[in-house]
Amino acid sequence: MHKILIVEDDKKLRGELEIFLNNNGYEAESLTKFDNTINEILSINPSLVLLDINLPNVDGEYICKEVRKQSSIGIIIVTSRDNELDELVSINYGADHYITKPFNIHILLAKINSLLRRTNSNIVKDKIDAKDFILNISNSTIIKNDKVIELTKNEYKVLRYLLENRGKIISREEIMDCLWESESFIDDNTLSVNITRLRNKLEELGIKEIIETRRGQGYMLKGE
Amino acid sequence: MNGRSFFHDKIIGILLMIFVLVTIEIFLIPYQYGIFIKIYIPISILLFYIVTLTIEYFTKKQYYNNFEDTLNELEDKYLISEIVKEPDFTEGKILRDSLEKINKSMIENVNQYKYTQEDYKDYIELWIHEIKIPITASKMIIENNKNEVTKSINEELNKVENYVEQALYYARSNTVEKDYYVKKVRLKDIVNESVKKNRSILINEKVSINIHDIELEVNTDNKWIVFILSQIIQNSIKYKKQAINLEIEMYGKACKENVILYIKDNGIGIKKGEITRVFEKGFTGTNGRIIGKKSTGIGLYLCKNLCNKLGIAIELNSQQDEGTEIRLVFPKGSFINLN
Repeated sequence: MHKILIVEDDKKLRGELEIFLNNNGYEAESLTKFDNTINEILSINPSLVLLDINLPNVDGEYICKEVRKQSSIGIIIVTSRDNELDELVSINYGADHYITKPFNIHILLAKINSLLRRTNSNIVKDKIDAKDFILNISNSTIIKNDKVIELTKNEYKVLRYLLENRGKIISREEIMDCLWESESFIDDNTLSVNITRLRNKLEELGIKEIIETRRGQGYMLKGE
Repeated sequence: MNGRSFFHDKIIGILLMIFVLVTIEIFLIPYQYGIFIKIYIPISILLFYIVTLTIEYFTKKQYYNNFEDTLNELEDKYLISEIVKEPDFTEGKILRDSLEKINKSMIENVNQYKYTQEDYKDYIELWIHEIKIPITASKMIIENNKNEVTKSINEELNKVENYVEQALYYARSNTVEKDYYVKKVRLKDIVNESVKKNRSILINEKVSINIHDIELEVNTDNKWIVFILSQIIQNSIKYKKQAINLEIEMYGKACKENVILYIKDNGIGIKKGEITRVFEKGFTGTNGRIIGKKSTGIGLYLCKNLCNKLGIAIELNSQQDEGTEIRLVFPKGSFINLN
């Protein structure tokens, strides 16, 4: 499990961030004192640091620069300063991403995921084994018993999102949010069409009723 | 300054001089001086007086006319005392010194307001950065406790976030040039970013987005333009029709000298007579008085203001009950005049 260190002086915010990251399969930890931040970060040695710029006694940009000198861990700056100069300075000091508050939590999560995938590139898989079928990430196809079916961009994203949240009920809004995030601005009807097509394609592979409709709530990928 | 006004100013002196000359003539009558003396004395006094007046007239005329001409040519008129040359007569010196003192005190006075305003702007920026932290924390709490209630709170929180952002950009709008970074941006990127930014409300309101012909490039500041587009999108949502789903169409068009971005909606539109006034500060119009719309009259004013500073033309066209079309006209070429 990846360890994420939160360096943020607002107690409530870091508490909630910790809960959120723990719920999403990470091991989150946060600093409560900021006297010896750089050494603490280095000794905890997390996979990734979420770093605020406005910290008591010390400047986040400086921490970023000093940590980067000695370590190649992922650094995401999370700050309420939204001018481009700060962003430029942070990136120059070796930060990997720069996110401004109030951030969209799903964007933060996506950036964490992609950063961890890159910094740990040896464990990246291009196929996800979903037991009932295999999802090939590199060419967006689904495979079962040597039978291969191609998915469209949107069908692939929907299936992947459902797969990542397998066993949970996902509302239509959440699926749309995920698709909009990757710039497919589809409307309600298009989503229904996509789901139907996806079901048909899964059925072609002999997988029936794996995407369950929960009236008024959303969809769920059965299994696990 | 001309001869007539100078003569007018000197009229008392001239009358007195005539009176003195007449008096002298009268005094001289009883004495047996030659006619030569009787004529010579008044004539010489008169000549002397006329020469003095003429010299004074030309010195002053030259100075004041030069003063007036410089003043007319000068754009910042308060700089006159710095520019006009030192006069060699008392009256002019007094005038110039007084102007200098008046200016100095006025500049101090104006500066005081300038500092107060800057101070206020700094405070607003600071406050906005502070307020963003509890907003972020609230959003995290909502994310960790998802249900119908928190979802509804989240929608309200998004509105708070938009208003806060508007305040920030309003505070910054007078100093765009200090926070400004022009680069080549793809129309597609800024349009997508602004849609993504507003996606939770757009999805909630079941808005269908139609983006096409957008593979164009413009030179502008990414952040400001995304803010402007966001305001336009939020307006479309605010003034949508109740009965049908809102559709927003966005597309670009390259012309000879500019690139135009169209943002069209099928909302309630704007009354014919009010179209020209929608960019005015505080103008809410008929739409603003519809219950529940809560118009502030700031959004489009701010857009217009920022567009002016970015060198973008913003045009609006609307048919009541049909929809609204906004065009953003980006000039081609990288030269943008900041003022």
